[in-house]
Amino acid sequence: MIHPGQGQAVEREQAAPPFEGDAQRPAQSYWNESWERLRANRMGIVAGSLIVVLAAIAIAAPLFTQFLTHFEPFRLDLDHTFQPPGQPHLLGTDELGRDTLTRLIYGGRVTLGVAFLTVALSLSLGTTVGLVAGYYGRWVDDLLMRFVDVVLAFPAIFLFILMSILFRPTPITLAAIIASVGWGGVARLVRGEVLSVKQRDFILATRSIGARDVRLIVRHLLPNVLPVLIVAASLGVGQIILIEAALDFLGLGIQPPTASWGNMLTNSESYFFHSTWLVYFPGITIFVTVLAANLFGNAVRDAFDPRLK
Amino acid sequence: MPETLLEVEDLHTVFATKDGNVKAVDGVSFHLDAGETLGIVGESGCGKSVTALSVMRLQRPGKIVSGKVMFKGRDLTKISEGEMRDVRGQEIAMIFQDPMTSLNPVFRTGWQVGEPLRLHRGVDSVRALAGAVTMLGRVGIPSPAERAKNYPHQFSGGMRQRAMIAMGLTTTPQVLIADEPTTALDVTIQAQILDVLRSVNREFGTATILITHNLGVVAGMCERTMVMYAGKVVESGPTADVFAHPKHPYTWSLLRSIPRLDAERHEPLKPIEGLPPNLIELPKGCAFHPRCPFKIERCSRDTPVLNRIGETQMAACWVTQAGTELKERA
Repeated sequence: MIHPGQGQAVEREQAAPPFEGDAQRPAQSYWNESWERLRANRMGIVAGSLIVVLAAIAIAAPLFTQFLTHFEPFRLDLDHTFQPPGQPHLLGTDELGRDTLTRLIYGGRVTLGVAFLTVALSLSLGTTVGLVAGYYGRWVDDLLMRFVDVVLAFPAIFLFILMSILFRPTPITLAAIIASVGWGGVARLVRGEVLSVKQRDFILATRSIGARDVRLIVRHLLPNVLPVLIVAASLGVGQIILIEAALDFLGLGIQPPTASWGNMLTNSESYFFHSTWLVYFPGITIFVTVLAANLFGNAVRDAFDPRLK
Repeated sequence: MPETLLEVEDLHTVFATKDGNVKAVDGVSFHLDAGETLGIVGESGCGKSVTALSVMRLQRPGKIVSGKVMFKGRDLTKISEGEMRDVRGQEIAMIFQDPMTSLNPVFRTGWQVGEPLRLHRGVDSVRALAGAVTMLGRVGIPSPAERAKNYPHQFSGGMRQRAMIAMGLTTTPQVLIADEPTTALDVTIQAQILDVLRSVNREFGTATILITHNLGVVAGMCERTMVMYAGKVVESGPTADVFAHPKHPYTWSLLRSIPRLDAERHEPLKPIEGLPPNLIELPKGCAFHPRCPFKIERCSRDTPVLNRIGETQMAACWVTQAGTELKERA
């Protein structure tokens, strides 16, 4: 057997492309690379920007209504009901003379707020359960995953009806209700990912240097499942907006007079034949937002999902 | 007489499967002296890795059912999980077969190599990184300060294995367990990694357990060799003696199955006939007897125990314990 000296060994390794990473090239992390890929996706960037703009408008709603529309979301004006789009009501008024644009902007606060909060809640709960189930395996896994099966088998619509009777739907309770169903899917996703990641030797190697379970889960497993989470989050937003709108529309969600995109549609169906704008504007807003969220979600998946590389 | 660091006594590790209990480690005993290099050889699935993992108590989902692992006066199978974590990080380090997956892909290499320092020495991340860079340099990674900023995917297999060795050594453990450290690497890189292990053993005085199925590696690296078959130690002794005069037919067959420079031209390699036994239902008697060219009637009846044969060696074989020489039959 040949035993080259240390010096020779070093030279040989340096002179053996392409397996040697080039030391001159700046370190490209997974995150940098994914970010570059996302930036290159023009459609995704447009869709993402649209979401950001909508969110910004929703956050800054009082400013917009003060300087752009000059109306209050709840102010009735019974002398000017069913005004068609024009001046001074850019998108018309509803049956109580409330300004549609103002209510859309305020409704965005509720709808987008509920969507983001729901995503945050179901991701945190689902991720925790998925990590614990996947990492510990055996009876812990069985117990948690059977519970997830129960959650996912539950007819969601009845749960929503029941919950909205028990708790007065506010944006926060509504988010909690939707998340109480949505986390199950996330838990499954994360668990599956953990099962594959924990087979890799670095988990054993990290245990072999004396790391605790908590450290392994939080510092080593979690970053490895983050890509899946980012994808799940971005694809989830659109879906949740739709669910929320549907619940509002059915009267199970946010209650009038608080405006949400969904409950603006509830009222407008009765007036569709003479005041079509009351249907079009909330409908188009929901449609465009969900479309943008899904396009952005797809772009994020293309950029971040390690399996698509 | 050098100080004995690690003494394993009658270790049994089983894996419960739906078909029954797999006795992956079935009564293994051995010792490791300070500063020495011990080779554990055997075919795949003979219990080498599980033995090593059991020493570290990382054999999950397997279970250590009996036996002792004495390390510096303590039985590692008895101490608490918290104490065991301290042993793992600081006193016994382990490196694994596949360097491609033994580093976490989402962290910079330097961060990971310094992790034992942060975990066990309470060192802040700047000093841990400095320690990692020093150690990366010691295992022969060029421009370690630059390389520490790289991610594992920018490292070659050989460099990753060096990084793994560096990670194990940051806390200067007394024992390094290398589980097939070169199996996944190509031959030139193998030689370099063995070189690193050899210099680690020399410079740090780290006692090394080298697990491999490559007899050449053992011959070049280890003072003592232990041969395992079906979860048991079948032979042990100084490497030179074991290679020159194997006292177990399994060792003899293994040695005969590798190519030799001094062999006659066109002489075919001689494989060991048959397959390793099913560890759930071991054959009665000696586990090797169905494949053994020397078997006698007693071999299928009684299980042989490890006994001293000759000056330096131990073997578990009725044939050689009865004084028979293992020789090629015409």
